[in-house]
Amino acid sequence: MSATPAALAAFAAQWRARTVDALHPWREQAMQRFLRLGLPGTRDESWRYTNLRRLAAVDFVTPVEELPGTAPAGLELPAGSPPEALRIDLVNGYPQPASLPKLPGLTLRSLRDQTRDDAADLSARLGAPSDSEQQRVALLNAALFVDGLHAIIDGSLDVPLLLVHHTRGPTPNTSAHPRLLIEAASGSRATIIEWHVDTGVGGTLCNSAAQIALAPGAQLEHYRIFSAGPAATNIDSLEIRLAANSHCKQFTVALGGALLRTNLEAHLDGAGAELENFSLLVGSGARHVDCLNIAAHHAPHTQSRQTARAIASDTSRVIFNSKVIVDAGAAHAESQQSSRGLLLSAGAEIDTRPQLEIHTDEVKCAHGATTGRLDPNMLFYMLSRGIDRATAQSLLVYAFLADVLTGMSSRETRAAVEAQLISQLPDSELLREFR
Amino acid sequence: MLKIENLSARVAGKDILNGIDLCINAGEVHAIMGPNGSGKSTLAQVLAGREDYEVTGGRITFEGQDLLAMKPEDRARAGLFLGFQYPVEIPGVNNVYLLKAALNAKRKAAGLPEVDAYEFLALIKQKMKFMEMSEAFLTRGVNEGFSGGEKKRNEILQMLVLEPKLAILDETDSGLDIDALKIVSKGVNSLRDARRAVVLVTHYQRLLDYIVPDHVHVLSGGRILKSGDKSLALELEQRGYDWVKASRVA
Repeated sequence: MSATPAALAAFAAQWRARTVDALHPWREQAMQRFLRLGLPGTRDESWRYTNLRRLAAVDFVTPVEELPGTAPAGLELPAGSPPEALRIDLVNGYPQPASLPKLPGLTLRSLRDQTRDDAADLSARLGAPSDSEQQRVALLNAALFVDGLHAIIDGSLDVPLLLVHHTRGPTPNTSAHPRLLIEAASGSRATIIEWHVDTGVGGTLCNSAAQIALAPGAQLEHYRIFSAGPAATNIDSLEIRLAANSHCKQFTVALGGALLRTNLEAHLDGAGAELENFSLLVGSGARHVDCLNIAAHHAPHTQSRQTARAIASDTSRVIFNSKVIVDAGAAHAESQQSSRGLLLSAGAEIDTRPQLEIHTDEVKCAHGATTGRLDPNMLFYMLSRGIDRATAQSLLVYAFLADVLTGMSSRETRAAVEAQLISQLPDSELLREFR
Repeated sequence: MLKIENLSARVAGKDILNGIDLCINAGEVHAIMGPNGSGKSTLAQVLAGREDYEVTGGRITFEGQDLLAMKPEDRARAGLFLGFQYPVEIPGVNNVYLLKAALNAKRKAAGLPEVDAYEFLALIKQKMKFMEMSEAFLTRGVNEGFSGGEKKRNEILQMLVLEPKLAILDETDSGLDIDALKIVSKGVNSLRDARRAVVLVTHYQRLLDYIVPDHVHVLSGGRILKSGDKSLALELEQRGYDWVKASRVA
């Protein structure tokens, strides 16, 4: 990055302008580190495929808080989103409704309230800001987040918790930094869906960050679905910590926006912890999707499985980087990485890079990565049955994604994702009857 | 129904068919036999419209239409069916959806409304019973995890649902045990009538014990070297293909 990009100066100005709150020492640590490192650039290993030059030139501003109670009426629910879910809207990070609902087994608090009431406890839960290169933008979120949600799950939730992230502002240089802290207590079970949209003027930046901690034996299915408008930028940093015998199924679904960068850093801290990670990455138009997933095994008998399916059409570009790290103390760890890419046009590009870093001998690690076009044999078989080419191609594209879709235990969420997905695929209207 | 005149075709730069002449009338069953690499499967694929098979000469008319000018899907809708030698697996695309889409495409082309979902399921179940197929078929992806024999049965099931005018069955008998062969033959025979025709591409005379052909052709080197009635198949079984090639040279 050049000397002082407009964006960096703007973020520094936002930092100086904000009201000092009780988390200030924690935030300052993050901001100083962020300013020292600067915006990520293609020289940084984990950002080499994604050029933030366009963003760097933007003079970002913080949106003003919308009055609680006025916003939800104007907030659109993503098409097909699960009707039964407990829905909270986060407008630029501010939870709506302001008085958060209660459910047995679920405690929800606004991070702003918690900062005011018990900053020491909160900063302990948030932990030290991450040092890792790929979490760099999360540092910016740590410094600038104004609000967000803290969810504690200590029971079995019957309905999914649907968190709809809205990024909106009067001008396209609006930037929001919503933050989530999710703690799943021992033995708890829940499904949490984060759904990112942008409403109002397009072209906004959402730099979201979520930290999820699973206590021993906790089970969580987590979705992050990005379906913002065609001009939006989403950068999302997700950190998951898994204690012994906990199980997390995580889905990353890219269906919208102009530029989308997702980070996942999962730490399998306790023996027997299991991570199943699914990525469904759809590039269309000129969209740029860059997904980086890291699974770090720190304890014995931990398991991680990563399944990624990427599709790119038009002049879109999809990047899928996955990395598995097995520490010396993680004997008998098992990991699988399967990534497949499907190119639907000559101008599209898919880059996949599975990586392994193993520091012990007693492990089973497998990985496979392929990228190609639609199988001509499958296509001809369908044509020979009288099915027109457009429908046949759509069906094959859809089928290509089946490995991720069938992994979704929440039928409602799957239906919602399918509804969004179908609107993204070429000739998708032909597919509706096949759902 | 089908008239092939002096057809030649090339696959991956190699001439495979070198002047085929064949006339198939409604109500007839033709068997095309021949050694490996003689061009049998190429002929079947060319008839179905496989695009990477380049037709370098000749013409084909199907029901008075120029078949070579038609897209594969239009050929299917016009009543041509290819039973594949190696049916592909398409995980994620349900068997029933595929078949329903195929039937509806055909009905649409004929100006008929879409098939009613319940009637369709009843039809499928009836045909599945006839073909002695397991219910698992209904929920699985196209040919997904099917054994070789199940895949071939599925081809015949599709044929029975689509009721083509002309069925071209490419080595439908290969990989079948004797029981499956009987079931597949039963399926094919059930479709035989005065309005339809069947082309059986096969290596072995055995299939022809169950589906008795009206005409047998020997294909070798991309040409039909000899045609006859069902007795030709028996003679081939006894004397081998070299006998035909030798008599041709002589």
